[in-house]
Amino acid sequence: MNGSEIFGAWVAVFLTLGIFSYLYKDNPFYKIAEHVFVGISAGYWMSMFFWTQIQPNLFGRLWPVPEGAISGFFMRTWYGIYNLFGGILPSVFPDGGIDKGHGTHPHFIYIIPFVLGVMMLLSVVSKWSWFARLGIAYTVGMAAGLRAYAFLNSNVLGQLKGSAVSFVGLDWFSLTDASIINNIIILIGTITGLLYFYFSKEHKGNFGKVTRVGIYFLMISFGASFGFAVMGRISLLIGRFTDLISYGGPTYNYASLWVLLLMIVLLAVWTFKGDKKVAS
Amino acid sequence: MEKFLDFIVRAGSLDRRYIFVVIALVVMLPLFFPLNLPIRPTVSSQTIYNTVEKLESGDKALVSFEYGPSTKPEIHPMAVALLRHLFEKDVKVYITCLWPDGQFMAMEAIQQVAVNQYHKVYGEDYVLLGFRPGNEAVIKGLVSNFRKVYTVDSQGNFLDDIPMMNGINQVADFDYLFSASAGYPGTVEWVQYAADPTGVIMGTGTTSIQVNEVMPYVQSGQIKGILGGMPGAAEYEKLIGQAGIGTSGMDAQSVAHIVIVGFIIFGNISFFVERRRSKKY
Repeated sequence: MNGSEIFGAWVAVFLTLGIFSYLYKDNPFYKIAEHVFVGISAGYWMSMFFWTQIQPNLFGRLWPVPEGAISGFFMRTWYGIYNLFGGILPSVFPDGGIDKGHGTHPHFIYIIPFVLGVMMLLSVVSKWSWFARLGIAYTVGMAAGLRAYAFLNSNVLGQLKGSAVSFVGLDWFSLTDASIINNIIILIGTITGLLYFYFSKEHKGNFGKVTRVGIYFLMISFGASFGFAVMGRISLLIGRFTDLISYGGPTYNYASLWVLLLMIVLLAVWTFKGDKKVAS
Repeated sequence: MEKFLDFIVRAGSLDRRYIFVVIALVVMLPLFFPLNLPIRPTVSSQTIYNTVEKLESGDKALVSFEYGPSTKPEIHPMAVALLRHLFEKDVKVYITCLWPDGQFMAMEAIQQVAVNQYHKVYGEDYVLLGFRPGNEAVIKGLVSNFRKVYTVDSQGNFLDDIPMMNGINQVADFDYLFSASAGYPGTVEWVQYAADPTGVIMGTGTTSIQVNEVMPYVQSGQIKGILGGMPGAAEYEKLIGQAGIGTSGMDAQSVAHIVIVGFIIFGNISFFVERRRSKKY
């Protein structure tokens, strides 16, 4: 085990226990862990997005490594701009162009997303913030168009097919496979659940009774969701405890035990001081 | 009787921090003293196992990592178990990531399974294509033209130089698709943009909280099987006969669930007793 791994374990233990300490009450350890998490997450995501998409797939397409010498006024100007950027950020714009497998000719169509991206960044300048609307409008329009077909195909047609159950050639009851009883439950649940969301008629009389059945199905679904949520949270807790236990061993110089002890002592002092301050 | 009801009402308004301590204890103790409670695979886990079992040596599986450290305890054990099964079957594994953290989760799983356990060769048996931002647009791109989205892998190697990438031009070229997903973008997007349009058989492993959202797709046959959270991972580990983190966590999971159910019942009794008393007076 090298030093950096042991140091990493100590940091992990501190941050985990710092977050757990919120269960006692809001305190400086929790605040430190929270702020570190927010800051590092933002930096990490930005860095990942830049080096996996913007640099290789956008700049890499706009300024690929050209085949042979650059000729013509336009191309010389285009790569002149690149060299200008390269003078400022050589790691992003290396000498000669970006070689990420996008061929040898610039894909000028990618100027459009580049400009839209720059427009979105202009939202931080109040005078030019309206430019951002164009970028957002493009994103919203593209996403709406992309999703419309997928939702119709998978969520509407696919689910309609899935709800069209058969009652022929099945056993009466089965815990695991399709059966007549299970299919009746699916049918009743689907119809009554949908009717519950029909608001053009008041939920009274026979219609009200049917929609009430729909509510029961929805409540069972919410109950299942709650159960799964609890299960998920316990799994995450197990994961953290498993790590804390392994970091509490001699390999990591008993990191969990030392950090826990130190945190309890400091929290006790902090609480005691706070109580005294309130009393005075 | 009245004293007992007094106790129930008082216990119902117990400081929640005592409950945290109890939960911490019931989760931690089984990790130190395992109970070895039985694990029985459910139909949905068995379906994934059966589907992978049907794959033949040399078949191609696209595995997508869409989770990060925050959901690692739930998804990582099942991703590891699935990779073990795929490598055991000598299936070629192609890994993509729609979450930035997914790339590091994938690297960890690969190191553990492909490198240390099965001694597989990078570029011939498995490839880590890495993360691409763009959510469902990335999936849509992979479905139409794989090489528009990926020209290089996560290590910067050109796809044309990787032997196992020969003949891979779109999602339809794969024999199996698995999404290890903790949210958006993830399972639902893979169904909508890849599995449904191409007809490639798809399985998924999700966090527990997502199971309700994804289950309709399993019920309708759009997804062939689902591994739900840590129990799903434990079931899969049982099916492949290789116990891992999922199995070791199941004792704690089971005991914690019993205690939480007890708390819920107790809390409800306390609530109803208190309500009856307030109506009375």
